[in-house]
Amino acid sequence: MPEEIHLKIEGLSLAFGNLLALQNVHLELKKGEILGIIGPNGAGKTCLLNCINGFYKPQQGRILYKNKDVLKIPAHTISQLGISRTFQNVELYTGLSSLDNLLAARHHLIQYGLLSALFHFGRSNREEIEHRRYIEDIIKLLEMEAIRDHIVGSLPYGLRKRVELGRALVQEPEILLLDEPMAGMNVEEKEDMARFILDINELKGTSVMLIEHDMGVVMDITHRIAVLDFGNKIAEGPPKAIRENPAVINAYLGKA
Amino acid sequence: METRKGQEGLDTIPKLLRQRAIEYGPHQIAMRKKDYGIWNEYTWQDVYGHVKDIAYGLLSLGFEKGDKITIIGDNDPEWFWAEWAAQSIGGAAVGVYIDCIPSEVIFYVEHSDSTFVFARDQEQVDKILQIYEQLPKLKKVIYWDPRGLWFYDQAQIMDIQRLEELGRAYAKEHPELFENLLRQGRTEDIAVFCYTSGTTGRPKGAMLTHRNLLYAVEALRQYNPFLPMENYLSYISPAWLTEQILGLCGGALVPLITHFPEKPETVQVDIRDIAPHIIFYGARLWESLASTIQVKITDSTPLKVFFYNVALKVSYKRLEAKEKGERIGFPLRLLYFFFDFTVFRPLRDRIGFTKNKVGYTAGAAISPDMMRLFHAIGINIKNLYGTTEASLISLHKDNEIRYETIGVPFDGCEIKISEGGEILIKNDGVFVGYYKNPEETAKVFKDGYYHTGDAGLLDKGHLVYLDRMDEMIELSDGKRFSPQYAEIRLRFSPYIKDVMVFGGEDKPFVSAILNIDYDNVGKWAEKRKMTYTTYTDLSQKEEIRELLRGVVEHVNSVLPEHARIKAFVSLHKEFDPDEAELTRTRKLKRKPIEERYKEILAGMYGKRETIKVESQVAYRDGRVGLVRTEVIVNYLN
Repeated sequence: MPEEIHLKIEGLSLAFGNLLALQNVHLELKKGEILGIIGPNGAGKTCLLNCINGFYKPQQGRILYKNKDVLKIPAHTISQLGISRTFQNVELYTGLSSLDNLLAARHHLIQYGLLSALFHFGRSNREEIEHRRYIEDIIKLLEMEAIRDHIVGSLPYGLRKRVELGRALVQEPEILLLDEPMAGMNVEEKEDMARFILDINELKGTSVMLIEHDMGVVMDITHRIAVLDFGNKIAEGPPKAIRENPAVINAYLGKA
Repeated sequence: METRKGQEGLDTIPKLLRQRAIEYGPHQIAMRKKDYGIWNEYTWQDVYGHVKDIAYGLLSLGFEKGDKITIIGDNDPEWFWAEWAAQSIGGAAVGVYIDCIPSEVIFYVEHSDSTFVFARDQEQVDKILQIYEQLPKLKKVIYWDPRGLWFYDQAQIMDIQRLEELGRAYAKEHPELFENLLRQGRTEDIAVFCYTSGTTGRPKGAMLTHRNLLYAVEALRQYNPFLPMENYLSYISPAWLTEQILGLCGGALVPLITHFPEKPETVQVDIRDIAPHIIFYGARLWESLASTIQVKITDSTPLKVFFYNVALKVSYKRLEAKEKGERIGFPLRLLYFFFDFTVFRPLRDRIGFTKNKVGYTAGAAISPDMMRLFHAIGINIKNLYGTTEASLISLHKDNEIRYETIGVPFDGCEIKISEGGEILIKNDGVFVGYYKNPEETAKVFKDGYYHTGDAGLLDKGHLVYLDRMDEMIELSDGKRFSPQYAEIRLRFSPYIKDVMVFGGEDKPFVSAILNIDYDNVGKWAEKRKMTYTTYTDLSQKEEIRELLRGVVEHVNSVLPEHARIKAFVSLHKEFDPDEAELTRTRKLKRKPIEERYKEILAGMYGKRETIKVESQVAYRDGRVGLVRTEVIVNYLN
């Protein structure tokens, strides 16, 4: 595991009125690692992701990525820098097919101009083929062949989550933020999803920040875990250490 | 055997391949595989190139003449290439079903003395790696889908592309070797091992030669002259002899354009793209297709349902006239033409049968009612009868289709019915013997005939299949009956997925254990606003039991008095191949089922109303659990 730091969160504090959602959080995501974020409900896990991809503007702190403070750049450009995410509640175009959802996610990578698009030949044609090829790679990786042309609104929940993961991936992210990708899934679906996350991480070297409540999964697939409680980071370390950490057991894991 | 014009000397499959490569080279498509959502094409030159590279690769790793390779995977071009490669250099291939558990896989690899295993992906490779130490003869495991295997560093495994690279390098040093070995191949060399699915005992490895396979394709062509370059869908597993005949041998001999679906679960979409001329489905697949059609029709708008029903009536009338050999009147012909155009053609398009010339069914018997249904909607479905050991035996002829028979024996296939009623065969398709099992081989070969173990009779040139010899059951009153006969008819109901019928000397009457079809019964229940939680719950609902009772009563009405079902239980779970209740081709394993559910049987014959059951279930991850519940017995008058 290389120790190069991919994303650095420094002294992040976020408040909604008097409610402190995050308090002076320091956290580092290393290149190529799967970092688990756990903690009880309302601990600030999703808030942390929302800060990273620009949904929330924290009052204090910095998030450094590629020598830039992502808090200072507009939210819609963050994905172009290589940070993609999935949502706790699936946010897809329900009226479009899985394939179209993925294609739409690559809009910011389109290089050709309006004129070329109008006639759809030459550059625009070549580029569209390239986009489709990239998407088909992801479809294959996530085993979505059978739902390629299905309307997303007609898909069961587990598969929608998969489409959403696919959409994050086709943006060619360097960092992937996953917000409870396995919530509401059965064991088999969870196993599939865990395997997909590992495959992505192994194959593409993508750094992953993963919020998840299923401790079995988190302990199995993450390299390191950070624990949040009431907006404070109370622990950080490899899964084994976290499992035995008294503060974590007290706040979240509970005694067996 | 007879050889076709211009094909003298082409007496092995690899020789045929070589001929195709010379004849067609880069100008003719041999295979299409859907990948990346589009159909990727391989010409005969491409195919021959891959076969050659793989063969050289195997040689460079120490493959010797007479070696065996085991292949485990889905239907992919790579399966075909690997098998052809081994056959080209004097080897044989052993096909294994992709859902076999590791202990089954080890049996096949070990028993067949395989020196190489071709495994599709990580899941299959893991099965072999678990047991690698127990297989000293195994030299390498080769995979063709690298997904998830990127960072495996075991020396025992290798990507097929790497193997081909090795092969190309080795070819430079030995440019003549491949063709020399290919030319040395003889038609009586073993080409494949097909392990009998073994409804009884351990699987036996039937050895089949090139001659056996070529005979079978030629036999098929007697009744269905396939034309070169017709579309064929490779869907049933090549671990089954039938796919070896149609896909691997027929593909090279006719030749056909073989199509591989993107994934097993995308077949329904892919088949519409292809519209194959020739389709081979197992009996179960036809059954599920029929019930899908029935359910989808019921689900559609009242106008469509009405049209479909009228169209079906007209079509049945026409069929009836045809069967009786009557002239079909002009009004009927016109009506049929109209309905075929407006109803059946769109229906056939939906299921990918627009260009279909023939659909084969085999493996287990299929109910005559269902065959009539398919013919009514314009699908030329035919019973094909064969066994792993004797390849193909009989088939329906066009315009001579009698639903209750398994067709007319092929020319060159000598058939005798023994005094005990067993079908005996002598033809070029009869296998060489079971591998390392001379006792069993001797048991099935007597007086120059192969003993099929099937009970049957000849009726005006048609062969009629009754049942397996050892499954004809004598009832307590001394009358004989065939449980399978009733089972097939029960399974025609869209609500019944599986069923096993019991009877015998120790049983005062005939009884049955049913598996409901979860999807269809679930839909039926939803329509009636019934609530249910699980399969177990649904299976015991009073309304569902009444529904099943209706089905059983209907079937009883066509059975002879002594063979009627007097009691049945709707089982709390489905029969499962992982629990050894079904074979991988989904045939019932009678003895294990009877043993396993002996308490239910005792309950039915003890006239109890409910029976407590406790059954062991194996989960996918290998853990074992217990299910406790209660099933209700249904009695009929």
